[in-house]
Amino acid sequence: MKELDELNLPGNLGYTDDHEWAQITGKTVRIGVSDYAQDQLGDIVFVELPAVGDSFGKGDEFGTLESVKAVSELYMPMSGEVVAVNTALMDSPELINQDPYDAAWIIEIKPSDPSEYQQLHKAAAYLDLLKG
Amino acid sequence: MDQNIKYTPLHDWHVAQGANMAAFGGYEMPLWYPSGAKAEHLTVITGAGLFDTSHMAVLTLHGPAARPLLQRCFSKDLECCLGPKKTPLLPGRCVYGVFLDAAAGVIDDAIVYQCNAEDYMLVVNASMGAPIAAHLQQHNQEEPEAALFDLSDRVGKMDIQGPAAARILGRILKNPAQVFEKMVYFSFKGSFDPHFLPAEPVELLDATPVMVSRTGYTGEFGFELFVAPAHINKLWDMLLTAGQPEGILPCGLASRDSLRAGAGLPLSHQDIGPWTFACNPWLFVLPRDETTAGFTKDFIGASALQASGGTPCTLPFAGFDPRKITISDKSLVTDLSGSPIGTILTCTTDMAVDRVDTKIVSLATPPEAGRPEPFTPRGLSCGFVRVDRPLDPGTEVLLTDGKRKLKVEIRAEIRPDRTARKPMQTML
Repeated sequence: MKELDELNLPGNLGYTDDHEWAQITGKTVRIGVSDYAQDQLGDIVFVELPAVGDSFGKGDEFGTLESVKAVSELYMPMSGEVVAVNTALMDSPELINQDPYDAAWIIEIKPSDPSEYQQLHKAAAYLDLLKG
Repeated sequence: MDQNIKYTPLHDWHVAQGANMAAFGGYEMPLWYPSGAKAEHLTVITGAGLFDTSHMAVLTLHGPAARPLLQRCFSKDLECCLGPKKTPLLPGRCVYGVFLDAAAGVIDDAIVYQCNAEDYMLVVNASMGAPIAAHLQQHNQEEPEAALFDLSDRVGKMDIQGPAAARILGRILKNPAQVFEKMVYFSFKGSFDPHFLPAEPVELLDATPVMVSRTGYTGEFGFELFVAPAHINKLWDMLLTAGQPEGILPCGLASRDSLRAGAGLPLSHQDIGPWTFACNPWLFVLPRDETTAGFTKDFIGASALQASGGTPCTLPFAGFDPRKITISDKSLVTDLSGSPIGTILTCTTDMAVDRVDTKIVSLATPPEAGRPEPFTPRGLSCGFVRVDRPLDPGTEVLLTDGKRKLKVEIRAEIRPDRTARKPMQTML
């Protein structure tokens, strides 16, 4: 298990209390789970993804991660419509453990309210949250 | 450190390695190490893994009353339990069975080792040493009564499991050829304390006494090793060093759970417990008389067993992909139309198997038996359900957590081509 100070928490992302991250990429937003989440869950063995075209509200469940330990729901950091899913995770769910930010983005959405990004935690605030 | 939690001698090692730790059976134990539970599971199928199992409890029984006491309390008939000819238990051999209460509920499962004519050792689950000792003492009524000791804090234990286990262990034993000679499944040699439990000596290269038991909880070839607690850290380091060529990994409880579930082995207090020990895959531990409908001996729980009905049934299952259902108050088993038929006892993922067409294939399956090349299994969910009716292998049922539904198949066996029973000479 990583020490909190060893976590990789990139500064250009917004984080949720549920350990998802969101990254603005032009007009879309990519969503994944944090280094803390993958470290706590252990080996990810399966990812359930939504369909392109599905719409979700902020906080809605959009998929699940299966780790060796448990089944964990994934929640939307922002509301929007799914425009892409990372199909590489279907065959290689371990990418989430190996590279939770770049290779293992989970979905890409067209946000219905881009200002919701401002409500997410900055990296330093997220780390403070983890430290309790 | 929490006063109520116990620690094995290897605890500091686990923490220093960055293991993900959790409470289990009153001990803080590693769930997995940084290599991850999947790599740990797979190395036990293809190489070797090393498990800290010092949380297990160890009792000993001594004297002429020891065997009669075990005959009364333990499910196996020690007078007819070995091999196809059902010969008596003898020194150097051990058997797996359960301790039942009068209502035929399981108090715990155990391996009983016969060390000498009148000396026995019992290995039971973490935190079960005292309850089993109390149960035995309650029925310890012969004169003179059997002497009973709880050695849980005087014995350290680790398991080396996987097809490379003998080759690795052999490198740190004084006379490996002698130790491994005629070492069949469920036999053992040596003693962790030769003064207390005399035995033909088995020693590490530095003369540390060790008890080597050809048993385990993974379904794979390997050994359980017992030494005095003072030698645990040394033995652990010796094995990890000796096993480097085979890629040995320290393994945590997560892979131990997924390996044992795939092997069809029960977890006490989860798959077997305080309900009637009937209609389950482990009835081989009962002393069934083949010629009559009865038992070959009387024992605690026998009359309740004879009076019990055929259901509910505990059955193994395997899914069609790695997805699991988290067990909670809301999780249950239904038939395909959605009618509730039972509960989920264990649900984990065996990461060494996958379905090839309809057949389950393991990383250990020989190519000629159907393992494609290359084969990178995604894993299959598996475990045990307890349902209100007998179901034939091949029957499909649904597991649900109240939200998602998972179709799984009732199985006779889950992970094929397990190595636990392979002849010793083929594993050296």
